[in-house]
Amino acid sequence: MNGEQDILLQVTGAAKTFGGLKAVDDVTLALRAGIVTTLVGPNGAGKTTLFNLITGNLAPDRGEVIWLGQSIVGLPHWKIARLGIGRTFQDLKLFTHMTVEENIATVTEPGSWLWQPGGTAAKQARRERIEAVLEATGLKDKRHARAIDLAFAERKFLSLARVMAAGARLWLLDEPASGLDRGSYERFLSLLRKAVTDGVTICIIEHNLDIVQGISDRIAFLDQGRLLAEGDPKAILSDPALAAIYFGERAA
Amino acid sequence: MWAYVVNLLVLISINAILAVTLNFILGYAGIFSIAHALFFGIGAYGATFAAMKLGADFVSATAFGMLLAALISLALALPALRVRGEYFVAASLGLQMFAITVFTEWKSVTGGIGGLTNIPPARILGFELTEPAHFLVLSLACLAVIIIIIRALVRSSFGRSLKALRDDEVAASAFGKNVAVIKTMAVVVSSSLAAIAGSLYAFYLSFINVESFVLETSIQLMAMVIIGGTATLFGPIIGAILILLLPAGLSYIPHLPATEIGSIQQILYGLAMVLLMIYRPGGLWGFQEKPKANA
Repeated sequence: MNGEQDILLQVTGAAKTFGGLKAVDDVTLALRAGIVTTLVGPNGAGKTTLFNLITGNLAPDRGEVIWLGQSIVGLPHWKIARLGIGRTFQDLKLFTHMTVEENIATVTEPGSWLWQPGGTAAKQARRERIEAVLEATGLKDKRHARAIDLAFAERKFLSLARVMAAGARLWLLDEPASGLDRGSYERFLSLLRKAVTDGVTICIIEHNLDIVQGISDRIAFLDQGRLLAEGDPKAILSDPALAAIYFGERAA
Repeated sequence: MWAYVVNLLVLISINAILAVTLNFILGYAGIFSIAHALFFGIGAYGATFAAMKLGADFVSATAFGMLLAALISLALALPALRVRGEYFVAASLGLQMFAITVFTEWKSVTGGIGGLTNIPPARILGFELTEPAHFLVLSLACLAVIIIIIRALVRSSFGRSLKALRDDEVAASAFGKNVAVIKTMAVVVSSSLAAIAGSLYAFYLSFINVESFVLETSIQLMAMVIIGGTATLFGPIIGAILILLLPAGLSYIPHLPATEIGSIQQILYGLAMVLLMIYRPGGLWGFQEKPKANA
């Protein structure tokens, strides 16, 4: 990939401080449409905070977040979600006492009121989407199980299933594959590749370098809240200074 | 004996309405309100006011009580938009205490401590319900309608949204759920349906006073829901039956002084709650309902 794609989401000069800690410090980053951008960096680099600034869970102290040319800073969390930004959480945040099918069904339903727009046709379309997602994530046999009763890998897939079903254009995935065995993460990667082929834009936080290499079109390297480098995966991953930071040997 | 059974059944159905409507917010939306008795009271005072001052029949008096309850429940829902969990419990407690003061002091409407007497019998389509057995039919019908409404809501997309925000508010809003609106609607629905119980109660006894709508009532309703099984359709009804039968049952035990029944009852409630939390945290009915998905 050459980075010439349209910019779907642009973060400019974003900053967020917690007490004395600069969690995100003047980060400018473009997420280009139809590719996978991976955020890497040691723990505490500000990757999840950056996600929270984009999704409106946190308000930036400074800076802009532009979605398709419009500023989304200050919009409530749920409105940003409805623009087409979906996310997973490091701690999954599944709807634990709902069934797998309900977890997926509820994110396909946009209305807060007692009815859903679109009538029977829309209902049928939602039905089909739920089935397709259940099938793709291998959760079909578990549809009536409660999320809390699932095995670890199944929970991870359910977390991804919700983003898939929500029909978001941009997926922000927070360590979606951590702790998965090889077979599961291969399946995970193929789901992500399929989504990208279908036009989804993905931004993923990941520590596993195999996965980073296997999926990234671009890499953004963060450390202590700052964006140190952004660009082609090979160039970033082969940079000895970045590797030293990543593996904890801080360059002087 | 028959009169006694009918009386008990009417009271059970009224309490079941309150438990089912409380469970709607407590069990399905995770909103722990200890102000439910307040909406019971508003339904009762509202319907009484409409019947005595405006000559309303049962349906319009009840509708008046429901409307009042819906409006006042917004006062509870508004803090609910801002605070979560234990803070909401405190907010609802505040509202409950405030309401007790209003019920006690606003004598021209509520009759103060002495309450309101000589409430006319319920009139439906020109027919006066003076027989307790007829009234039982009415209260069971109201319970049935409310169960049908709650069941439909819980199984709808609205119900799924409620459960989603109960399980994780952050995730629910990350998937586009307007948590504030959904919570407000849940509280309004629950409170206005609870007002139906208030109206039934007022017309049935033809006397109401503040003592029926105090904090203890709210807590007892919460106990019904938790003992029966939160987030189940029939659990709260089972809870209502058990909690109302307990004092009735105790009074049949020989050699038990009537003055001691109250304290034995408290001990049994406490014991039941502790045992349930250990052995059946989902409530008595909780283990029977298998999760079903309806998309």
